Amino acid sequence: MRRKAGLVLLALAVFFAALSPLLRWYAFPRLAKVPAHQYQDMVLEAENATLLDYGTMRARTVPKVTIVQTLKGNVEASERIEESAGRDVVVWDGLSYVVGPDGEMVSKIPERYIFDAHTQEPVHATGETVDGDPVRRGGIEFKWPFLTDKRDYEYFDAQARITAPIHYKGTRDFRGLEVYYFEQTIPWTKVRIPKTLPVAGLTPESVTETGTTRWYTTVRKFWVEPLTGAPVYGEELHREELRGGTLLGDRDKVTAFAGHVKMREDYITHTVDLVKSQRLLILLMTSYGPWGSLALGVLLLALALYLEARGRRPSGPAPTEAEEPSPVSA
Amino acid sequence: MRVLIAAATGLAVAFAVVLTLTALGSPSGGTSPKPLLTTVPAHP
Repeated sequence: MRRKAGLVLLALAVFFAALSPLLRWYAFPRLAKVPAHQYQDMVLEAENATLLDYGTMRARTVPKVTIVQTLKGNVEASERIEESAGRDVVVWDGLSYVVGPDGEMVSKIPERYIFDAHTQEPVHATGETVDGDPVRRGGIEFKWPFLTDKRDYEYFDAQARITAPIHYKGTRDFRGLEVYYFEQTIPWTKVRIPKTLPVAGLTPESVTETGTTRWYTTVRKFWVEPLTGAPVYGEELHREELRGGTLLGDRDKVTAFAGHVKMREDYITHTVDLVKSQRLLILLMTSYGPWGSLALGVLLLALALYLEARGRRPSGPAPTEAEEPSPVSA
Repeated sequence: MRVLIAAATGLAVAFAVVLTLTALGSPSGGTSPKPLLTTVPAHP
């Protein structure tokens, strides 16, 4: 009976010991992925921002500009791309909708971001667009990979439509979470006029005909929770200018938008709570699970060996009387 | 011999469990019917 128990313990010990690396190195890379059907929204605000009044073509300070950003997983599109790509793909249809202090639309820029569900590397397929124009992303956007490294990443800027490094600037504490802080600076760059403008009748073509061009610079800051790769907070020092052309009269340039954009407080709390729960799932697969399983395996192996050792101890009849000590003679 | 069989059984079950888990994967839902937002939501 004892020998049988030892063998069962040994089988369990091998099971748990083998489970440890399998969980971490086989199951985790395959199971950790961004779900294709995810829907998320985010609200960012810039207080005391500068905004162009298209009626007077003059910049004015406004109490608040709000940016509503939505990302919606398009399952049908991802399944279609997966067939040719041969890997798990996520397609996010996104919209950055900017609202002025009066609640009216300032700009809206749709985009489609296609990426590998496990690594977050961009996947290039038809439909990869920003504001209806085809683009080719050379880096991540919105989310970092699971188990983010302390290094620079390539990050896609949808306004300038370029991929540029986003630099790792150190580890910080953000509301009780250890996060990696990243920063990217896009220098003044000539960018396209958005397809949808806030004034009826004003089109990118009509603006271009006047010779006016749009320029943009930003400093983008992200606080990223490294296990999930999810940003828990973001800020942007964003500036846009219209330069030259007859649209501006005798002026060289006018500010179209300038503001310090920050995530709204209720969205920060919501994001931190969400990331904390997701972080636990990642820890279960990368740390708690593998280490716990390994410890259990070692414990069960020790127990199995102990039972085996006890089972092998000679079990002859116990001596009935003690031997007489031999007399000592001097 | 029995020791080897016990160890092999433990190993095989570990592989079977992990392979089954990864083969099942996570359930994939459908595209959300919610629209891309053009108004400022009151809360997350």
